[in-house]
Amino acid sequence: MNSAYKKEIRYTLIFSVLLLMSGHLGLVFVAFPGLQGHMIFGFPSQYIIPVVMGWLGLMVIVAVQAKLTNDLDDEIEELAASDENV
Amino acid sequence: MEQQQWALESPTLGIIFVGASFIIFYLIGWYSQKMAKSSTDYWTAGRSIGAVTNGLGMASSYMSLATFMGVTALILKLKVPFVYMWIQFSLSIPLITLWYGTPLRRMGAFTPAHFVRERYGLKTSYITVVFMILIMVMYALGQMIGVAKVFEMLFGINYTIALICGGALIVGYVTIGGMYGTSYNAAFQMVLMGVAFVIPLGAIMKAMGGTGWYFPPLFYSDMVPAMLEAVPDFFDMKYGLKWYAALIPCFTLGAMGLPHLGMRVYTASNLKSARGAMVWFTFFCGIVFCSTYTMGFSGVFFQATSSTGIAPTDYDKITLILNSVYNPAWVLAFVIAGAIAAGLSTISANLMAIGAMIAQDIIATIKPDLSDRTMKIIGYLAISGGGLASILIALNPPTFLVVSILWAFGLAGVTVAPLVILGVWWKPANRYGATVAILGAGLTYIAISPYIFPNFVISSGLPSSVGMSGSLFCVPLCFFLHTTVSMITDSMPSLMAKIPHQKDKELVDSIHGWSDYSEERYNSKSAGIIIAAVSLCICIWAALPGGW
Repeated sequence: MNSAYKKEIRYTLIFSVLLLMSGHLGLVFVAFPGLQGHMIFGFPSQYIIPVVMGWLGLMVIVAVQAKLTNDLDDEIEELAASDENV
Repeated sequence: MEQQQWALESPTLGIIFVGASFIIFYLIGWYSQKMAKSSTDYWTAGRSIGAVTNGLGMASSYMSLATFMGVTALILKLKVPFVYMWIQFSLSIPLITLWYGTPLRRMGAFTPAHFVRERYGLKTSYITVVFMILIMVMYALGQMIGVAKVFEMLFGINYTIALICGGALIVGYVTIGGMYGTSYNAAFQMVLMGVAFVIPLGAIMKAMGGTGWYFPPLFYSDMVPAMLEAVPDFFDMKYGLKWYAALIPCFTLGAMGLPHLGMRVYTASNLKSARGAMVWFTFFCGIVFCSTYTMGFSGVFFQATSSTGIAPTDYDKITLILNSVYNPAWVLAFVIAGAIAAGLSTISANLMAIGAMIAQDIIATIKPDLSDRTMKIIGYLAISGGGLASILIALNPPTFLVVSILWAFGLAGVTVAPLVILGVWWKPANRYGATVAILGAGLTYIAISPYIFPNFVISSGLPSSVGMSGSLFCVPLCFFLHTTVSMITDSMPSLMAKIPHQKDKELVDSIHGWSDYSEERYNSKSAGIIIAAVSLCICIWAALPGGW
């Protein structure tokens, strides 16, 4: 199996975990109650961290995801083109 | 505390703003439809929509009337746990794009059901279409009723007339414009609703004494001490681990199964543009979602500190009430126009999905030789028919259809998402597994909802009524059934000889962009066993009492 395929699977798994984590940080705070109650930027940690990660954190992850998967598409296209030439 | 029923004092300005916005929607629809040269263009906007417009359209289709009304009401009732429920909705488009949007765009699909037909055959696709239409009708119905209620309040007319007039206006512009009109209108509606929500919120915060009024989505920490004094439990997480875990299968995977979101990816001019749109979506969605939490926060603060409290029947009008208290009348009128735009953008996307499924996934499969002109006429009829049906049902809606739009998300998560995800990423997934999984898990989800057998439920209260407990059990059940039945039937040559499984497997490679076929790709038996085992464990955990 070629590296582009392995990369596709790896990216999908990694970004699935990162995306799910960025949108579900409430689950982490309820699983580990010790993380709750600290004040960050004037808000309780269990509130502001999920809110910021659910927007700005998600945007960063999605931007990286778009860049890497676009590059991967180019790689797969190149492979497909070289296969056709052969 | 004295509670006062809220009423709109001067509707004239509201009528002017709403009337003007409808004129713009029709003009956009009219000009856009000229670009549709074929029925494919009509459903996919010629696959030509740019990244920013598509990002705005994606966010707009997702932001329903609930952004202005339902969400703030639920923050008022549930406080911060509802914020956690809402945050994860931003994951929808990025996960759709990652898991199946781009492969389906590469395939040239009209709807996720189109992919199900190619991958699992006609019978399974018909079952999927039935579930999807039910989900879309429930979704559109909630919006249609909401818009009719705003019209009722605005024009002072009775509900039936408000529904028929408002419904006809909406169905008219969607039918005329097709996906081109819907996409450009959705982009305009997103700008309208964003401005109408965020800027007046800044003025509300300033009037309430907030110093971070210039950036409402995040800068309100100076109001936190006063909030903690007035409402000490506002930031409490309240619920157990199962409640937060159930958000993933119910709403995150649920959104994966909503056809009108997936369809936005298929309108992109190319895959890179679709991914660019995804980044814009998270930006626009984040601004409005975070502002919604601020509005909910301000509503709770207002409720706790003002001398005149808000009546429970008015909880869903908190955005309008705060604007009427702190902003001039013309701003309130603008906010009402924004709220209607939010409802319209969602109904438009719902009607496009219903129309595409009727025209492309049912009629085109029964009569594949129809001319393009006939298919275009069928398209108009399918959308207007779907709209008319929604209006008629909304006149006197059956109780089970309006119980909860959120419950419909769970149904989408149970029936559609696992089939599409496994179909795209796991070659051994076959037609037998898909049929057993969608029927077994879908019917179980309906049976264990509190609306069919009130005593035959996994949990009670909110987790049960919005489908969270049902999804936590049935989504993994669908994955378990699909993987195990597929693996078992795969070892029965007599059964496998009856389906074109090799062709189905080749489809998987082609939609990922491979020009050659390799048996090794997306074909791990271990992955199937792991998915089945993990799914079974989650099913058992979900069925155990407690933890909510």
